[in-house]
Amino acid sequence: MSANLTTMRRLDVEDFLFHEAELLDNWKLPEWTQLYTQDAHYEIAPLSADDPLAADPDKSIFIVADDHERLHLRANRLMNKSAHCEYPHSKTRHLISNVRVCEDGQNLRAKANFVTYRTKGGHTASYMGEAHYLLQPEGDGFKIKHKRCVLDLDTLHDQGRLTIIL
Amino acid sequence: MTSQQAMPLELRRDEPRARGDGPPERLVDVDRQRARFRVHRSAYKSREVFEQEKQLIFDKCWLYVGHRTEIPKAGDFVTRRIGGRDIIFARNRKEEVVAYFNACTHRGAAVCRETHGNARVFTCPYHGWTFDTAGKLVSTFMSEGYRKDLNEDRRLDLPRPALLEHYRGFYFLNYNPRAISLADYLAGAKDVIDSYCDQAADGDQGLYVVGGEHAYSIRANYKYLAENSYDGYHVVPTHTSYIEYLAARAKGTADEAVVAGTAAGFRGRGSARGVGHGHAMLASFVPSGRPVAHWLEVWGPKVKREIDANYARLVSNYGQERADYLAKMQKNLVIFPNLVFNDNVGLTLRVIEPTSAGTMTVRAWGMAHKGEAPELTAIRIDNFSNFLGPAGFGSADDIEMLELCQQGIEHAPTEWTELSKGMDVNAPDLRVQEGAPDDECQMQAYWTQWDRVMRGIDGFERPEGK
Repeated sequence: MSANLTTMRRLDVEDFLFHEAELLDNWKLPEWTQLYTQDAHYEIAPLSADDPLAADPDKSIFIVADDHERLHLRANRLMNKSAHCEYPHSKTRHLISNVRVCEDGQNLRAKANFVTYRTKGGHTASYMGEAHYLLQPEGDGFKIKHKRCVLDLDTLHDQGRLTIIL
Repeated sequence: MTSQQAMPLELRRDEPRARGDGPPERLVDVDRQRARFRVHRSAYKSREVFEQEKQLIFDKCWLYVGHRTEIPKAGDFVTRRIGGRDIIFARNRKEEVVAYFNACTHRGAAVCRETHGNARVFTCPYHGWTFDTAGKLVSTFMSEGYRKDLNEDRRLDLPRPALLEHYRGFYFLNYNPRAISLADYLAGAKDVIDSYCDQAADGDQGLYVVGGEHAYSIRANYKYLAENSYDGYHVVPTHTSYIEYLAARAKGTADEAVVAGTAAGFRGRGSARGVGHGHAMLASFVPSGRPVAHWLEVWGPKVKREIDANYARLVSNYGQERADYLAKMQKNLVIFPNLVFNDNVGLTLRVIEPTSAGTMTVRAWGMAHKGEAPELTAIRIDNFSNFLGPAGFGSADDIEMLELCQQGIEHAPTEWTELSKGMDVNAPDLRVQEGAPDDECQMQAYWTQWDRVMRGIDGFERPEGK
């Protein structure tokens, strides 16, 4: 019985993560910000960290460590022509798989593998890793309280930079 | 494109070649009477120039290795590519800072394949030769068959770069055994490094490199990033969206008006100047706050007292004028040829490693002050990743600009890049002139030195016999 519940939960979470990926691939960034709670954090852990899940953005250099306000400002910036690095917008494809879900009090923790491709100016880069979510149930769906991406990369030498949202 | 459009372009491209073969003899063209300073674009894209740079610049200049706090304990090491060579930077058993090549003296394999860690010895994975943390060969696996005095002349120890010296904890190496000392090489840049160290309560003993580093790449010549790192002229047009970000964060606070005045006030505060040997700096005012002087309301009241106390300490230690220079101005320094200090909100370092004439990799670290409130460290770190990183609101746009430049010079017929803004035509030595923050004096200082090195006038070597 509980196994079925977990399966249902996982399907809901998968649908939610697929929805997030779709918004990002369609550059619907203002809509993407609406998936996050008012106290949310969106992070990309340092590539050199020995333990990227334990890394603290107040003590070590992350690639991205956005609070809710900056997450909005990042999205707004990227929708603007003055964000030169993403003008014209690159093409992206966010793929999500291997989703696992467990309960954490009122909230859910989800872990997913991802590969995101980005093409701009004739160059294609791929970003692969594991995304860790803390999801807060809201109505029929969820909101993201915390998302930390851990990349399976040791440098960004092949990718150059990381200017899209993962 | 139609063939009619293509034809004139082809003709224009051929025009310079018709006048002579290849690039001119002098790649840096200075005409003081016409206030002209320009650089031939082959300096940014020619493979031949890049091969010469490896020998004349990267094998002769002092190159940054790392900071002492990256290897605090005996056995600590980091591995880094420095000027095209793989180096282990370590603290040996006697706690001395050492550097040696990461290549086994037997067949050449890397003896260390980790980026950082702590080791008692390095064992080559191929035949098991083992080296201690000073780089000395301590054992050869199954050594029967070798003569007893195999390493009598120590030639089978890991070789060291010719020179390794530090200035206030920042270590540099030099591959040329005849090079002048690091202190002589740094010239006026020492004072700028002092201005970073002296901000900490314990001076350079109070500075440390925080965890995490950025490692990314740019499809452009390395000198484009050196120029960009202290280019005041580009701040407003390239970074409009960053200034808008600062404005959005300052909205409704007392800092709003300060941010709004950024563009209008930029030229009037600070300067761009050469400090000798091609090193140069930009001192400017950018309203992103300073943990040693300039509190922002968005940082919250908790850190205000410490920031005010930091500033008061600097005034009492160094006097008002020096304290304001240390504390209030953002100071970007480029040490010729490829090290950047950005003293923006916190102090950060960036090493530019050319990988070909048109590509580079970049490694960057952030620094903080020991013993300061964790909130202040967090503020320094936050600015580093938010502005300077590969996902930042500043550097990411810079990178796009540098790549656009490289693409442009690869195809367009324009031969020379104009870098004359603000040139002091009366300066006896363009390497030590001063101009406004949005002038190009710092780049003129860099290129004047580059030209002297490439033409064999300067080799940064001690005179014969010394």
